Amino acid sequence: MQTSSVPLTVDDIVRLRRKKQTVQFGFYFILFILVLWSIQATVIDDTDWERIGSLADIGKSVSHFIGIDFALIPNLLGPTIETFMIACIGTILGLIICLPAMWFGALNVTPYKPITYPLARIAMTLSRSIHEIVWALIFVSAVGLGAFAGILAIAVRSLGFIAKMSAEAIENIDPKPVEAIRAMGGSNLQVMLYGIMPQVLPVILGIVIFEWEINIRRSAILGLVGAGGLGLVFFRQMNTFNYPGVTTVILAIFGLIVVGEITSHYSRKALN
Amino acid sequence: MAILEVSELRSRYSSRGPEILKGISFEVEEDDFFAIIGPSGAGKSTLIRCINRLIEPTSGSINLHGIDVLSLNATELRKMRRHIGMIFQEFNLIDRMSVMDNVLSGRLGYVGAIRSIFRTFNNHDIQRALELLERVGLQDHVDKRADQLSGGQRQRVGIARALMQEPNLLLLDEPTSALDPKISREVMQLIRTIATELKVPVLCNIHDVQLAKEFCNKIIGLQDGIKMFDGPTPSLDQSSLDEIYSMEVL
Amino acid sequence: MANKTGEHNLPVHSSVGGDGVHREWSRFKFPRSLINYGILLGILLFFSYSVYYLNIPLERIMGMFGRLGDLMADRYFPPDMDYIVDLGYLDAIIETIQMAYLGSLFGLLISIVLGWFAAHNVSPSPKYIYPIARLLTMGCRSVHEMIWAILFVTILGFGLLPGVLALTMFSIGFSGKLFAEEIESIQMGQVEAIRAMGGNHLQVFVYGVFPQVRVAFTGIAIYTWDVAFRAATVVGFVGAGGMGWYLKRNVMQIETERVAAILISIVGLVVISEFVSAWARIRVSKAK
Repeated sequence: MQTSSVPLTVDDIVRLRRKKQTVQFGFYFILFILVLWSIQATVIDDTDWERIGSLADIGKSVSHFIGIDFALIPNLLGPTIETFMIACIGTILGLIICLPAMWFGALNVTPYKPITYPLARIAMTLSRSIHEIVWALIFVSAVGLGAFAGILAIAVRSLGFIAKMSAEAIENIDPKPVEAIRAMGGSNLQVMLYGIMPQVLPVILGIVIFEWEINIRRSAILGLVGAGGLGLVFFRQMNTFNYPGVTTVILAIFGLIVVGEITSHYSRKALN
Repeated sequence: MAILEVSELRSRYSSRGPEILKGISFEVEEDDFFAIIGPSGAGKSTLIRCINRLIEPTSGSINLHGIDVLSLNATELRKMRRHIGMIFQEFNLIDRMSVMDNVLSGRLGYVGAIRSIFRTFNNHDIQRALELLERVGLQDHVDKRADQLSGGQRQRVGIARALMQEPNLLLLDEPTSALDPKISREVMQLIRTIATELKVPVLCNIHDVQLAKEFCNKIIGLQDGIKMFDGPTPSLDQSSLDEIYSMEVL
Repeated sequence: MANKTGEHNLPVHSSVGGDGVHREWSRFKFPRSLINYGILLGILLFFSYSVYYLNIPLERIMGMFGRLGDLMADRYFPPDMDYIVDLGYLDAIIETIQMAYLGSLFGLLISIVLGWFAAHNVSPSPKYIYPIARLLTMGCRSVHEMIWAILFVTILGFGLLPGVLALTMFSIGFSGKLFAEEIESIQMGQVEAIRAMGGNHLQVFVYGVFPQVRVAFTGIAIYTWDVAFRAATVVGFVGAGGMGWYLKRNVMQIETERVAAILISIVGLVVISEFVSAWARIRVSKAK
């Protein structure tokens, strides 16, 4: 049947609509079956409903967490600062190790396309696809327990996002100033410094600040695998069943994140 | 004496692409204000970029002050380029830097790596930049960011930057197309005055025939990569114009 | 004349730059430069103090890379690939995918509503519901998925259910804000039209807002699934099921070659999911 040359009849339109509807219905039906299957596997099969007990029991376990452990608050100051510092240094270190990655990973400035470009892309993917907890595990086994492992984990985990976004920013620059610098006899370094950097620096700073805000969140949990900061305190409260203490630590994390979000908001505003 | 001799210049974008310039020859002399006119797509822009090899020509020769430009290696080319000032259609300023830094950046060809990182220019350069800014009438905008200026002012910064290079040839790539008619005349007037004063020959690529007639002493007309006219401005008459712009009528 | 090297034989025109008038200019501008340098110095001081406070062994950084290499070669190589093609582990992979699927689905359903409430321009009550919805999404966002997982494991015990719930919270945090931002950038004309004909809040959302953001929402939803899958690979670390549980067990038993194999499987799956999600998002944006 040639729908292009023959005008559509009402029957054709109805048939086409039906066909489209069937495809759509099939798609949603498959999604629905997947949901059922997943629910069956995860929620019904795998869950020990006896252990959870009635709704009242759940309510009771939740109620353990209500309250604040005031005695803990003075002990939180140190770890909070530590978490904050891990996030800051980790982000800066991430930016530093990122510089070659964004240089190699931007098509218009990459030194040798067949090798350096894929290299940078692989580094970015690797950095983003491995969770910070796993990175921290690797670094804890390499440099031992403590803040340093956390900093490295955060730096490596930040690389992917910062490098990817920055490389995109470099690829999207306005080529006109670059042409001007070349025309007056500028070297490659000068093209980078005067033609490219002024254009992308504010963008990169914005990306870094955004990532820094996320890194505060990340550094707060790295203590779970022994990388210091609030996560360690959190874990300790959990192990001693001090549930109000757990709530207190979460509130401290929350506070730190709010501070980070406000700082990030205003510094990004100041950039523009 | 011819400062710039171009002969049989050919250029194409890619090895299999169409030829943009099909054998162009001309000569620019010491006190010339030389115009290249022609419809858009005629290859004006490509021609002017071949002179300082922003675009590599495929064959032909370019001789500037007796130097064979096409035989230079990368380092020699950079040394050559710092003596060729270029002024662009859309100014090509570094938007986020101050006017002063933009003008000083004209010295980049003479400045080493460390100094360009920290933007330390010597006192002579700073004095020269300030004098040039005064000359183009921007003494009150020295510390403003380049993107805060109007179009005409931005092109003045472009002129000062090009002069900062102490050029012995000025290339102008449609310097007035982004400006309104009144400002265009002012800018052209300024360039001509300074060029005459400094005895710098100018090669100017211009869309507006009226402006070319008004300011330039020699004109070549391009059409589709072929030179259709070459001569002093008074000899450009309606029939040669018709010939140059015949494609545009169609 | 065959002079090639340029500069010497070229005439130099330098008549500008010699009028003898001295002009004052300095890169240093009194209050502004001082403030900028002050801020820079402050940041620098903070960083050096942090390095000191956190006891970072600067002298060990150089040797670290060598050690990292040795460590990889000695202990993590060769990865025990047999371990990850084992049926039990493959089961865990499927569980992880299911967890991510359900968690992001529940999360997305909730955050469509939360995003609606948290978008200032169409929120049913900008004064009361808007700040509450904002606070909820922000709360979900600021608590890390691992902490959610720990909390749910404490309340509900080990298993996949706490993992699903943790990922639900994570997905709400992730997509809620994006949804709200998307809604805030719609054209208000269509909303006004529905309002003008007397539509209630639900009708305004369904007819005025949703058609405008449907494509963007689908894109965000696919992206959320992708990110949720990445998180799902590790929530098991604290007992919430899936591949993370295997990771934890082998880390604890120092079965480093198995850990290496598991990490490879995680990276492989995440890369696949990223490709699938990129492909799906392109298709959605093309289909409109």
